[in-house]
Amino acid sequence: MIRLTWLQFRTQAFAALAAMAAFAVLLAATGPHLASLYAASGLSGCHVDSCQSLAGSFDAEVSTYTSLYVISVGIILLAPAIIGLFWGAPLIARELETGTSDLAWNQSVTRTRWLAVKLTVVGLTAMAVTEALSLMQGWWAAPLGRAVTDGAPQGPLSQDRFTQLVFATHGITPLGYAAFAFALGVTVGALIRRTIPAMAVTLALFLALQIAMPLWIRPHFASPDRTVIATAGGFEAGGATGPGGTTLTLVATSLPGQPGAWILSSGPVNAAGQPVSTTPAACDAPSIASSPDFYGCLTSHGIREAISYQPASRYWPFQWAETGLYLALALALAGYCFRRLNRRRS
Amino acid sequence: MTAAIETRGLSKQYRRTWALRDCTLAIPQGHVVGLVGPNGAGKTTLLRLATGGLMATRGTISVLGEPPAAGPAQLARVGFVAQDTPAYARMRVADHLRLGAWLNPGWDDELARRRIAQVGLDPRQRAGSLSGGQRAQLALTLALAKRPELLLLDEPVASLDPLARREFLRSLMEAVAEHSTSVVLSSHLVTDLERVCDYLIVLVASQVRVAGEVSELLATHYRLAGPRRDPGTLPAGQDVIEESHTDKQSTLLIRTGEPIHDPAWTVTPVSMEELVLAYMNPANDIPARRPQLGVAS
Repeated sequence: MIRLTWLQFRTQAFAALAAMAAFAVLLAATGPHLASLYAASGLSGCHVDSCQSLAGSFDAEVSTYTSLYVISVGIILLAPAIIGLFWGAPLIARELETGTSDLAWNQSVTRTRWLAVKLTVVGLTAMAVTEALSLMQGWWAAPLGRAVTDGAPQGPLSQDRFTQLVFATHGITPLGYAAFAFALGVTVGALIRRTIPAMAVTLALFLALQIAMPLWIRPHFASPDRTVIATAGGFEAGGATGPGGTTLTLVATSLPGQPGAWILSSGPVNAAGQPVSTTPAACDAPSIASSPDFYGCLTSHGIREAISYQPASRYWPFQWAETGLYLALALALAGYCFRRLNRRRS
Repeated sequence: MTAAIETRGLSKQYRRTWALRDCTLAIPQGHVVGLVGPNGAGKTTLLRLATGGLMATRGTISVLGEPPAAGPAQLARVGFVAQDTPAYARMRVADHLRLGAWLNPGWDDELARRRIAQVGLDPRQRAGSLSGGQRAQLALTLALAKRPELLLLDEPVASLDPLARREFLRSLMEAVAEHSTSVVLSSHLVTDLERVCDYLIVLVASQVRVAGEVSELLATHYRLAGPRRDPGTLPAGQDVIEESHTDKQSTLLIRTGEPIHDPAWTVTPVSMEELVLAYMNPANDIPARRPQLGVAS
């Protein structure tokens, strides 16, 4: 059965291998240059005062790699979807569609064994391919990650590990995505029984979950820590003048003393801890609003910034939680496929 | 000897319609069974229930004494060729034989190669470029080389031209005779099966109308012609299958196990085609008979 699976799967496997090779060549050709730029930047072991400016010039030097970075991240994000579409959805649907299921399931091999071998071989390959892409890109982008740790400002190339694009393309999450997308494709194919519609539905469902995950699910893996800090630099302030005075918004982009923390929400509160939505009139004067005194003025009025966040130390627990969730979903879908195939409605 | 296929009250319902209803049959082994009925009568459903491809809604079925597709061993004993004789379009003929060898412990590679050569298939050719007849031969080869005890073929010749039809059935019969395999093959045309089958099942509107050995059926069915007469006045044991009347004459097709003594009748034997057509005609009200559970031979 393994030999048959290989016979049917080898074309796709070779295609994946070719894509991985192209990806590797692209990264291997540019990776050393990126690393040398980092080594020459002096960021490693920089003093706190100089780090910011060194990081800024490093960011400028590596900006030519922005498109490659975005493309490589995009490929890792899309790989599970492509696997779900082209490996998962046709696995059962094409057999049913072309009638070859009558051939496959009337040999001296039970449907359970047929499916078990197919799911194992193709599913493990899917996971290996996606994780390999992620590891290659992780090696390539390592200097960028170190620059962030050294204190580089957030930019398209330098982002915290908790940022959606980084979180979803590094660590072990690609394993979970690949397994889930593949199992989802197989299941949808078994239900719809036609390849093309099954591919469309698989894509829609997978994208929906990938969008919902960072927005509504991942933030709740652990209840966020909360803190209230003095208003100072490092906020993105905004306001709009309306009939009730000037509104006040203050968005924290980083948390002092907590590098790499994932900030879920932030906003100004008064001394009693209640959210504040308008700028005190005294701080509203144009001369103050655009000066560093603005924050001093807010502080003198008892306004501080409340932040809820996930500390950087939760990166790996979150990686495990998310990967575990996707793997559990994949196993549940696979279990359903076994039941469905053995209920024999075909 | 266990029956090739034995069913009791076997029924299959799709949503609201019954594809097969209360089918009780005992098909002995060692026969070439023709399963005849109009399109949509439930032939495919019955065959798929026998392969384990479908689960019955009600009733039971056992194939060679075991539930269908009970495990690898049971799967190995039954060969199945589906109606559209499927093959993997992008795989070569030789790959299909390798597939068969990998997945079937009882695979007869010598037989497979010999048949492929006999029917003139190029092992290097991709299945997608085969003609309908060639693909049917490939599917049959796969099923035969598995060396099953029971071979099920669903409308195997429906898509073939008359010449390929004859060639296919001839090669099937050769192979079957060689290994004394039991065969069930379905068709909506009795003429396809007339020459090959020695056991007949007529299935109409999801119900079995008649089942039995061809020789026994032919020996117990007669066409009677004579002066007009009410069929109700026939002696017990003479079941009317089909009747037609003019003002003066009656023509009946009857089933009886006893000799016909009434001198008023002109008695003629019936051909298999006449018999099948009479049973297939939905206008005919077939008298209920006790299901023949006793396995002959």
